[in-house]
Amino acid sequence: MRLSRRGVLRAGLAGTAATALGGLTTGCAVPTGSTGRNMVLWYWSGGLGDSVVKSAAARYEDSVRLKAVQIGGYYRSKLITTMAGNANIPDIAGLKGEDMASYLPNSDQFVDLRTLGADRLKSRYLDWKWQQAVAPDGSLIGFPIDVGPVVHYYQPAVFERAGLASEPADVSRELNTWEKFFAAGEQLRKRVPGTRILTDVNSVFEMSIGQGTTRFVDEDRTFIGDGPRVRACWDRAVEAKRRGIVSNIVTGTPDSIAATEKGTLPSQLNASWAAGDLKLAYPRTKGRWRVAACPGGPSNVGGSFLAITRACREPERAFEIITWMLDADNQARGFTEAGLFPSTPASYRAKRLRQPDPFFGGQITMDVFGPAAQQIPVAFNSPYDVALGQPIRDEIKNVGVLGKDPKTAWEDAMKSCRRIAKHLGVNL
Amino acid sequence: MAVVERTAPPAARQVPAGPRKGWRAHWHLYAAISPFYLLFLAFGLIPVGFSLYLSFHRWDGLGAMEWAGLTQYQYLLSDSDFWQSIGTTLVIWALATFPMIFLAMVTAVLLNSAVRFKNAYRFAYFLPSVTSVVAVAIVFGSIFSTDFGMVNALLQAVGLDQVAWLNTPWGIKIAIATLMTWQWTGYNAIIFLAGLQTVPGDLYEAARIDGAGPVQTFFRVTLPLLRPTLLFVLVVSTVTGLQSFSEPQVLLQTTANESTFAGGPDRAGQTMVLYFFQQTFDNNDFGYGAAVAWGIFLVVVLFSIINWRLVQRRGEQ
Repeated sequence: MRLSRRGVLRAGLAGTAATALGGLTTGCAVPTGSTGRNMVLWYWSGGLGDSVVKSAAARYEDSVRLKAVQIGGYYRSKLITTMAGNANIPDIAGLKGEDMASYLPNSDQFVDLRTLGADRLKSRYLDWKWQQAVAPDGSLIGFPIDVGPVVHYYQPAVFERAGLASEPADVSRELNTWEKFFAAGEQLRKRVPGTRILTDVNSVFEMSIGQGTTRFVDEDRTFIGDGPRVRACWDRAVEAKRRGIVSNIVTGTPDSIAATEKGTLPSQLNASWAAGDLKLAYPRTKGRWRVAACPGGPSNVGGSFLAITRACREPERAFEIITWMLDADNQARGFTEAGLFPSTPASYRAKRLRQPDPFFGGQITMDVFGPAAQQIPVAFNSPYDVALGQPIRDEIKNVGVLGKDPKTAWEDAMKSCRRIAKHLGVNL
Repeated sequence: MAVVERTAPPAARQVPAGPRKGWRAHWHLYAAISPFYLLFLAFGLIPVGFSLYLSFHRWDGLGAMEWAGLTQYQYLLSDSDFWQSIGTTLVIWALATFPMIFLAMVTAVLLNSAVRFKNAYRFAYFLPSVTSVVAVAIVFGSIFSTDFGMVNALLQAVGLDQVAWLNTPWGIKIAIATLMTWQWTGYNAIIFLAGLQTVPGDLYEAARIDGAGPVQTFFRVTLPLLRPTLLFVLVVSTVTGLQSFSEPQVLLQTTANESTFAGGPDRAGQTMVLYFFQQTFDNNDFGYGAAVAWGIFLVVVLFSIINWRLVQRRGEQ
C-alpha cells in the first residue's frame, strides 16, 4: 500500500477529531455507576471465594448481570480515585479491614446498610467485626467478609526437645501469658542452641496492641500513643529483646525461610490466613506444625468487608446478593476455597471446617481458631492511627534490629508523634 | 544542544510563509500532531496542575477538600523525616551513579574496540534495563541475605565477616545502590557506545601519530568529545535515581502486617518517593503528599541544574 503525504495527514486529522470528540462525549456522558443490567462488584484476588462469586452471578441472573471484577495493584487507591472521580463507580465494593478507618469518616459515600435491614442479621456475625464497619454517625458501611484471628503456630518436635509442652491444648494453657511465653523462649534457647521463639520484636508489639481496646488515637481525636497502654506494649517488646529470645533475621528473606524449615525459628504468632502461607512456603514441613492459642489473648489482623456504594442503582438487590454471598454456608465455602476465615460463628460448626488438617498433624485447627475469633476485643480505629503508630513502629524496629537504646528510641518516637499530631490536627 | 537550536530544520527553510501567518496556514499540520498534545494535556499537564492545587489543601482522598494555604509547605520545610529521605536518596544515588558511569564507560570502550560477538554483548548488557525491577529486587534480596546470600558467601570465602546487609543502615543503601548499578550500567554503556561512534577516526589517528598512548587518547580525545553524552547520561541518571521507589520498596518489604513504604531499620532505605507514598497512601494525607511531590520536583530540578552546569562549564574551558 502506498501512502501519500496527504493521505497520512487526513488519517491524522480524522484520528485527532475522533480523539477529541471521544474525549468530549465521554467527558459529558461518563456514567456515575454501572449501566444497563450490570451490577458491578469490585474485589481483589483472593478477596472472595471464586465459586461463591460464580454461583451468585448464576443465582441472580434473572434480575441483574453480576460483573465481578478483580482489581489488581493498590486496591484502595483505585477505589477512592474512582469514587472521587465520580465515574464508573462499582455498585458493590470490597473494603479491606486495614483501610476501614479511612473509609468510616466518609460514610456518605456508601449506603447505610441499616436502611436495608442489616440489623436483623447482626446476631449471626461476630460482634467486634460488625462494630468495625460502624461509622461515627452510627451508619453501617460494610458487611463482614472474613476475619483474621491471631494464633500461635509452632513445631511440636522442637518444643519437645526443649522440654516444653508440645500438645496444642497444653501449649495453649501453659503459654497463655506473655510472661510464660518469654520464659519458654528462654528455655528453648538454652536447651536447643541456635533457636529463637521470636523472629522479630515487632510482632510482639503489634499483637499486644491488637489485644487491647484502644490504639494510638481515641474517638476524640486525641493522641494516646504516649499513654500507659501503648507504653506497656512497647516495654513488652523491649523485654523480649533484652531476654535474648529474638532472632536477628529479617522476615521473608531466604534466611528466615531456611531457619523456619530447619526448625531454628519454630514458632510464629500470626493470623489464621498465615496457615495458607505456611503451606505454600514450607511444603516440606507438612505435619510438623500445630496451632495453639496466642499468648496474652486473641487479636485480629486483616479481614475485609463488602460495601454498597452511593452510585448503586439497586441497593436492595445488591444487599440481597451480598448477604447471600456472605451467609454462613457460603463463608464456609470461602474458607475451604480461599482461606477466608468466616465471620459467621455458625460456620465454625460446619463439617468441612472441622476436617483434620494433615499439614498440622491431623489437628482440627478450628478448635483453636474458632474460640479465638469469638473473643477478639473491640477497639476504636482512628483514621489517624496509621500515621501516628508508624513512628513508634519504626523505633521499636530500631531497638530490635539495630540495638538502639530503648529510652532514646521512645523519646524519638514521641517527638515524631507530637510533630505529626500537630500537623494532622490531632490533640495531644 | 546549543548547536541544534541554532540550525533551523531544513523543512522550515523551504516554507515561505513567515512565522506570523504560521499556524493558520498550517493548521492541518498542527492538527496532525495534536493527538500527542491532547493526551499529554489529559494525562500529564492536568494532573500536574491538580497536584499543585491539591498541595494547598487538606484532603483524605474521599471527603471534602479543605483550604490549607501554605501550611503543607511550611510543614514540609520543618519535616525532619522528609529531609532525611532527601539525604537517603542522594546517598543511594551517589553510590549508584558514579560506579555506574565508570563501569558503563569502560564497558562502552571495550564494546567499541573490535571484539567478536559484538551484538550479542550489546544485547546482554542492555537486558537488565528492560527486566522488571520487582523481579530484580527479589533476586537481590536473596543475594544480600545474611546467612545464605551470595555476597556474604564471597566475603566469607576471602576470610571476612558476614554483614547483615538488609538489617543495617549502610548495608541497605549499598544493596539498593548495587541493584541500580547492575540494572543501568548496560543501558548507559550502549548510550556511551553511540557517543563513541560519533568520534571521528582521524582524531585517533592524529593522536597516535603525536605519540599518545591509549590512556592519554582516552582522556584527551575520547572524554572531551563524549561530554554531551556524559551530560545526557548524568541528567537521566539523576532524574531516575532521585525518583527510585520500587527498588527499596521490594527489597525491604517484610511482612503483610507492615507498611511497605517504611524503608527498613532506621528508615535507611526510605527514599523521597517512598516517603511520598507513605504520606499519601498510608496516612491518607493527599494534600501533604502533593506538597512532598513538589518538594521532590524541586530537588530533582536543582540537581539537574547542578549537573548541567558542572558538565557545561568544563566544556567551555
